Amino acid sequence: MALLRHSSRTRKDTSGNRMWVWLMLPGTLWMTGFLIASLALVAVLAVGTTDELGNPRFGFDLSGVRALADPAYTEVLARSLGYALLTCAICLLIAYPVAYTIALHGGRYKNALIAAIVVPFFANYLVRMYGWSVVLSDDGPVLRALRAIGLADSNTKILNTGVGVVAGLVYGFVVFMIIPLYAALERLDVSLVEAGRDLYGGPFRTFFFVTLPATRQGAAAGLVLVFLPAMGDFVSAQLMGGPDQIMIGNLIQDKFFQGQNWPLGSALTMLLMLVLLVGMFGYLRRTRKDEAEVRR
Amino acid sequence: MSPEVPPPTRRAMLRAGAFGLLGAAAGGCGFMPAKKPDPSLLAPVKPRVDGDLVYFNWADFVDPSVFKGFQKEYGVRVVQSNFDSMEGMVAKLNAGNRYDIVFPTAKWAQRLVRGGRLRRIDHSQLTNAQAVFGAYDYFADPWYDPHSAHTVPFTAYKTGIGWRRDRIGELTGSWKDLWSDKVKGKVFLLDDRDEVLGMGALELGLDVSTGDRADLDRITSLLGTLRPRLRGFSSDSYNNLLNGNALMTQAWSGDMAAMLNQAKDPSVFGFEAPKEGTPINSDCYAIPWNAPHPGTAMLFIDYMLRPENVKKNIEYIGYPMPVAGSEKVYAELVKPFPECLVTEDDLKADLFFRNGGRAAEDARDTAWTHVKAG
Repeated sequence: MALLRHSSRTRKDTSGNRMWVWLMLPGTLWMTGFLIASLALVAVLAVGTTDELGNPRFGFDLSGVRALADPAYTEVLARSLGYALLTCAICLLIAYPVAYTIALHGGRYKNALIAAIVVPFFANYLVRMYGWSVVLSDDGPVLRALRAIGLADSNTKILNTGVGVVAGLVYGFVVFMIIPLYAALERLDVSLVEAGRDLYGGPFRTFFFVTLPATRQGAAAGLVLVFLPAMGDFVSAQLMGGPDQIMIGNLIQDKFFQGQNWPLGSALTMLLMLVLLVGMFGYLRRTRKDEAEVRR
Repeated sequence: MSPEVPPPTRRAMLRAGAFGLLGAAAGGCGFMPAKKPDPSLLAPVKPRVDGDLVYFNWADFVDPSVFKGFQKEYGVRVVQSNFDSMEGMVAKLNAGNRYDIVFPTAKWAQRLVRGGRLRRIDHSQLTNAQAVFGAYDYFADPWYDPHSAHTVPFTAYKTGIGWRRDRIGELTGSWKDLWSDKVKGKVFLLDDRDEVLGMGALELGLDVSTGDRADLDRITSLLGTLRPRLRGFSSDSYNNLLNGNALMTQAWSGDMAAMLNQAKDPSVFGFEAPKEGTPINSDCYAIPWNAPHPGTAMLFIDYMLRPENVKKNIEYIGYPMPVAGSEKVYAELVKPFPECLVTEDDLKADLFFRNGGRAAEDARDTAWTHVKAG
């Protein structure tokens, strides 16, 4: 940021300024209209009410907010937090070696390899998850094959378990971890690693004291990009989970559909936002510290 | 890239932002206290071509050849759009979208009628209405729309138990079958608040739509004994039975009937309507108050009620329709699952899910959260 400011134009160029206005207009309209205003609407509905026909209405009624005290919500929120953190950790473990290999050893196939990772994500997440739920079903190809070679019995199941849900989340969001890590590793100054080796650092020490710290920002970005959607996800729990794997996203969806309790649904959404904001705040402070360190 | 922003730019941005907020506020108007439309605007209209038909229904709920026939005969286009839930449909209506014909379920039809959102339908203007109202007393004056003044029934269905006959043999014909040790860990309940609470209520001999907290506590603790035996909550009964995840599942009769078209060997499946009672539901044709072409909508209803079209639709979607003469078609279709039939007696048992007041709905919502989240 600071660097950019120094390098930007010193000469006043009015026509250029006008161009920036027009270029920023669509984005600004989009963000205020569809993000900020929608969030404001949700916040207002959280203290709203429902009319005698069950339709959500503006008003002032705290029963939706008060209902959050029900321990069921805290429990499900805690479970979602656990799943999302676990997903982040697994994604990091999978993505780092993948991104490392492509960025440092991919050679001229780098772009092709990254494309190969991204292309499957052109298909809708819901459709892919639905596909998985068929593939992993009790009479599906995976379990049938495992049974044939004696690795599973008739009671073995993958679907409707916690493992299934977290696997679904990892599968769904791992690409958001690979891309920023790849970007960070690609930018990595190889001479730093060489310097580490020259100073008698073994491969492990060099990795942990040179490579890893240099790509910390990429990892942090990836963690946020995975954590946010994983925390609010409901598709994985719905298609891969059972009664004991319900996530906060499923409950929120229920409030807007089955219960027609939009105020409570909005209040739950705001609670989830609050939890995410606290996480984001921690992340921003961390990155600011990193930036300060880099500048020093 | 973030260039420095001179003052006029920032003001322009704020102005743009305010404009965006205004747009969203307009979208929020759907949440203002609703005005009831003037009843004089809801007067019935005669069936006549007054434009293309703007049609709004579940996806795949009418045989495409019926649309083609209608377009050809009346020289109009059918402009189709679909909803994936009643909530979504009503949200779009409330936001001011205009459709000529919609298909609410009984509970939602009542809400729309009470809110003054449906145009009245004069049955005497429909040449085929007698086959419905003459043969099915129940719909001459249903609870959701007195004298069916704003609606014509479309389909009816009930909720029972679907199971894998090839794996577990015969059942006892009771909701208690869901607790059977033979299927422990392989049972699904529908992912539907009313159906799950309603099943518990029937098992305990309570009102299916109860909003009473003491009743709901009993239902919640009964279902608490089923929960550890459950594989999940899912409304995809057909696939769950087919791919072996479920040996038994709560299921809608129409979905089980639709399965007959697709399953290679239907005898491996079964469907029972438990003796404690089965929740019943129906949906109907309705014309919204702001329909741009209500005359064409009237023509469409009449066209859909022609015997040959009723037959086509029943065979296409697997749901029975309360139209005299169509019963045989449906009975033939569901021969392997005779309990899919919806009879006049089923209707009179009246186990429909009703609208509760705010307090009752909130209590049911809380109970559902506890059943589902444990």
